[in-house]
Amino acid sequence: MTAIPASPQARSAARRRRDGRTGLILVSPALLFVAVFALFPLGFGVYISLTNWPLVGSYQFTGLSNYDALLHNSEFLQSIVFTLKYTGIVTIPIFLVGYALAAFVRANRRGSAVFRTLIFLPYIVGLVTESYMAVVELQPTSGSVNYALSRIGLVSDTTAWLVHTGLALTAISILVVWFYSGFAMMLLMAGMQSIPAEMYESARVDGASWWTMERRLTVPLLRRWIALSLIVSVVGSFLAFNQFFIMTDGGPGTSTVTVVMSIYNTAFASFDVGLASAMSVVLVIVVGLITFVQFRFLQRDGD
Amino acid sequence: MPAVHRDQRPRAGVASAPPARIAAPARNVGNRSAAASRAHRGAAGRATVWFVVAGVAISAVFVLPLLWEVFRSLQPESAVSSAPSARGFTHLTLANYRTLLSGQDDILRNVVNSLIVAVLTALLTSVVAILAGYGFGLFRFRGAGIAFGLVLVAFMIPFQAVLTPLFLELHFLHLLNNLIGLALFYTTFNLPIGVYVMRNSFVQVPRELVDAARVDGATVRVTLLRVLRPLVLPGIATTALYAFLFSWTEFLGALSFLTNDSLFTLPVALSNVETGTYGAVNYGLLLAGAVIAMVPCVVVYVGLQRYYVRGLVSGALKG
Repeated sequence: MTAIPASPQARSAARRRRDGRTGLILVSPALLFVAVFALFPLGFGVYISLTNWPLVGSYQFTGLSNYDALLHNSEFLQSIVFTLKYTGIVTIPIFLVGYALAAFVRANRRGSAVFRTLIFLPYIVGLVTESYMAVVELQPTSGSVNYALSRIGLVSDTTAWLVHTGLALTAISILVVWFYSGFAMMLLMAGMQSIPAEMYESARVDGASWWTMERRLTVPLLRRWIALSLIVSVVGSFLAFNQFFIMTDGGPGTSTVTVVMSIYNTAFASFDVGLASAMSVVLVIVVGLITFVQFRFLQRDGD
Repeated sequence: MPAVHRDQRPRAGVASAPPARIAAPARNVGNRSAAASRAHRGAAGRATVWFVVAGVAISAVFVLPLLWEVFRSLQPESAVSSAPSARGFTHLTLANYRTLLSGQDDILRNVVNSLIVAVLTALLTSVVAILAGYGFGLFRFRGAGIAFGLVLVAFMIPFQAVLTPLFLELHFLHLLNNLIGLALFYTTFNLPIGVYVMRNSFVQVPRELVDAARVDGATVRVTLLRVLRPLVLPGIATTALYAFLFSWTEFLGALSFLTNDSLFTLPVALSNVETGTYGAVNYGLLLAGAVIAMVPCVVVYVGLQRYYVRGLVSGALKG
């Protein structure tokens, strides 16, 4: 190595080449993981969706017939409508509660760090664990929620929350808003804290009220963060599965089956792998569209 | 709450920007009289009191339900499943935990499964993300942009949407019904945020330090292990913490890729308890299991939240 008499340029070029090789080697495990367990399944899924893939045996290409079947699959169509409805119900409350919480805890005042931690706890514990707890507490007669509400006369003490579509959706929506608004708070708070304090100085000198400053200054400056928190929450809601699987299992009937649950049932209960893959492709496209549309919508005016 | 970092301020994305302080006292107030200043301080004190009172009330909304479930899990099964007016409502016992962790339900095995998967995922994610972050952060190479984009693409793919093909693929690789297979799957979907966090950690390392190590003849490996490691440790903590919490609470993937009861992770095992697969439905056991699932999250988060919030913000900025 040292014996090679090379010009400085040649040496640095060689080093750059070696550096490049080292860099590629360093990132290759990550690329391998993503290729094998994310990109390949995605492509494989598209491929399967064009076949009548059985659990065992050979398969044939069936073109777009799985997609054609989707258009007539009432359970899947119903699950899309239901999931959109659920998403529509929870999105605005999550945002508003999250925003209010963020505005409350964003300044470094006495106790605000502790409050942030405590408000964020339901998100950390996870919706799965909390859904199990909710199942117990929503039982007629014995559940705490049901008991408390019946004592103040809102419901009868035998209300079976999880076997009526409307009641189940209400209960799950409230649970999700409670679970998720701490996360929205964290995102929005990070955005609020990145706004320089000087922005508020002149407004304060002009005697602007809190509400005016919030509306005229904070919200416009926060637009990208608001877009981000809405996208994350809408996509998350559209991919809902756990809370419905645990609390209603799609029932009564199939009235609370979400899109992901519909895919899960088609693949792992009906073993129709081709159809389930077609559903998944639709899901990827819909999620991509939601992200795209919301970005465009929120960035339309300004920047 | 023990060990809450009182001084902890989540780092905003723009680290240098001061946080917006709505209640900040105006500077350059000039010649206030002593009385006015005292009155001002009194008002500020009252505002602080109100802030704390409101904060406690709001926090209670988010924490009390969880504490209530801890209390409920300590009730005898008969009290959990009957009207709260029943006798024995305040009689506390560890009976649910004892039943759950012994005998036929044997949730302990599922807790161990969950721990294995979560720790393995945290380790794998950290190692792969450290290497990739080092490569993306400190080396120039052809295709780096595309490669980085590919890793982030995994973030755009909802894992719920590749469940079916992934099931077939894992089956083919003999990784179905396999805790390692589950950990590989979790690692993949934790990598985007991990690689992003680690790359930023390495980019922030002073360039002179890397050059100095090179001049001293340090190899790539020695530079990473001796020179850079202490500097990127916070990033590693963030990556590992995310991966651990994700795996510990994940449900759908474990439900789909594990069919053998003895391999179930805790969240999936609890669905058996919920539906009474082991006999009569027992809500006391379900609550005890849920509390067992909750405790590690709370402990790990409260201890390491500084790192969690860092990751949350940088992960969000990526979007």
